[in-house]
Amino acid sequence: MSPQLVSQLSVGGSTLVLLAGLMMLWRRGVNAHIGAFTAQSVALAATTAMVGWFTGDWQLWAVAVLLLLVKAVGIPILLKRMARRFGTERELEPYVNTATSLLLGGLLVLLAYVVTGPLVSVSQLPTRTGMPLAMGLVFVSLLVIISRKKALTQVLGFLMLENGIALLAVLGTHGIPIIVEIGVFLDVALGFMVMQVFVYQIHETFESIDVEQLNRLRE
Amino acid sequence: MSVWLLAPLQASVALLLAPGLIGAIRWMKARLQNRRGSPVWQPYLELRKLFAKEVVVSSNASWLFHAAPFIVFGSTVTVTLLVPLLAVPLPFAGAGDLLVVVYLLLLGTFFLALAGLDPGSPFGGMGASREMTVAALAEPTMALAIFALAWGAGSTDLGQIASRILTIPSEALAPGHVLAFAAIFLVTLAETGRLPVDNPGTHLELTMIHEAMVLEYSGRYLALIEWAASLKLLVFFTLLANLFVPWGVAAALTPGALLWSVLTLALKLLALGGAVAVVETHIAKLRLFRVPELLSASFILALLAVTASFLLR
Repeated sequence: MSPQLVSQLSVGGSTLVLLAGLMMLWRRGVNAHIGAFTAQSVALAATTAMVGWFTGDWQLWAVAVLLLLVKAVGIPILLKRMARRFGTERELEPYVNTATSLLLGGLLVLLAYVVTGPLVSVSQLPTRTGMPLAMGLVFVSLLVIISRKKALTQVLGFLMLENGIALLAVLGTHGIPIIVEIGVFLDVALGFMVMQVFVYQIHETFESIDVEQLNRLRE
Repeated sequence: MSVWLLAPLQASVALLLAPGLIGAIRWMKARLQNRRGSPVWQPYLELRKLFAKEVVVSSNASWLFHAAPFIVFGSTVTVTLLVPLLAVPLPFAGAGDLLVVVYLLLLGTFFLALAGLDPGSPFGGMGASREMTVAALAEPTMALAIFALAWGAGSTDLGQIASRILTIPSEALAPGHVLAFAAIFLVTLAETGRLPVDNPGTHLELTMIHEAMVLEYSGRYLALIEWAASLKLLVFFTLLANLFVPWGVAAALTPGALLWSVLTLALKLLALGGAVAVVETHIAKLRLFRVPELLSASFILALLAVTASFLLR
């Protein structure tokens, strides 16, 4: 593969990953959110595999397979189970309305572009072109976490944040050693479990997963 | 064949194909919904009927009401001279680029909205205000998507954008291009009054946008406006087809190449019409208050298109 094709493909892949992140801001249903996260993980795995093909590094292929198994199959199944248990209640009115949060998302992508400017100009790798978009996803997921009210949506925002960081690592450094990558996966899985327990507890106590309710004191 | 003959040829091909395009979309939609559907040439018969009918005009209407159909029709026909319908480079390329095309189309929308307000009927005013809302939200998306295209080609000239893709085919799949295509497709649905934004098939009073504006028109005025509306759909489809997938557009002005380009154009229009028919069968109309959300999503697509083509410089 020529370096030019690689940079085109990495921009294309990161754009898909970022678009799935923006879907979180646009759609309201829980199932649409889980679908967006699954699509994002598949796009991330494909981008990782593409970089692995370009560099000929078997470790990146292994990471891509792990990504597919854990994030595109495993976690979505758990998420769907959670959504079923709480009933598919629609997303509550977020703190920031949909149109505004989409525009904010666009601004954040531009901000990410400015912030990663120095990084991109220092790097020599052909995949560097996708880095601003990966950074944009990190910002967009943070926006999801602070602007949505349901605990489940916030958990999804956290998982997307992790996807953004993974994409940044793959594009910026052509992958970190696989042992570190496995550690990160374990961390994410563990974090997810803890949050799941937490969400269950919130639901038990308040009979809703609206985090607004946490502001009030209860015996 | 002279370059100057190309312009009238383009305009007449567009004028002849446009009602057929509407008819084909209606027919495909009917088939997808298990209905038999009216024949593809039905819009031609409707136009002939309308041209033969007498014009009834409200006594409250001013000269604007009489002028608007001609302005709408004239501006849309002018646009067909400026888009790469059959061949590149365009004879009138010096007279107008992408921006002129977009704003000529908006000029038609503007006068149609004025004409909707003019007779003072409540539906006309409602339709006009809604149409202006949609146009104001769709326009920034269009402008940004155009920047993405123009950035890649280094020019806002439509012929140059198309011929650049013809010389470098891999550019057609560049991320900026694909995203700009998606953004312009959404804008096309909004601007031409197709389903998630407006329902072209009904006269339901409270949901209509385009139909509400033209409610007061009859006879040949209505015929001109309907023809211009179908022509506008054809222009947007041509932009989608020939800017993003320009293969088939004649580069030399020989009769054979031109015939081939007419054929490929018809095929591409049919494919896009099929896509619209499938979309319209699958989804319901959005509530008016959720239209801004759809259009801001398309704005984001256009913004990403610009950043993507900027990143790959």
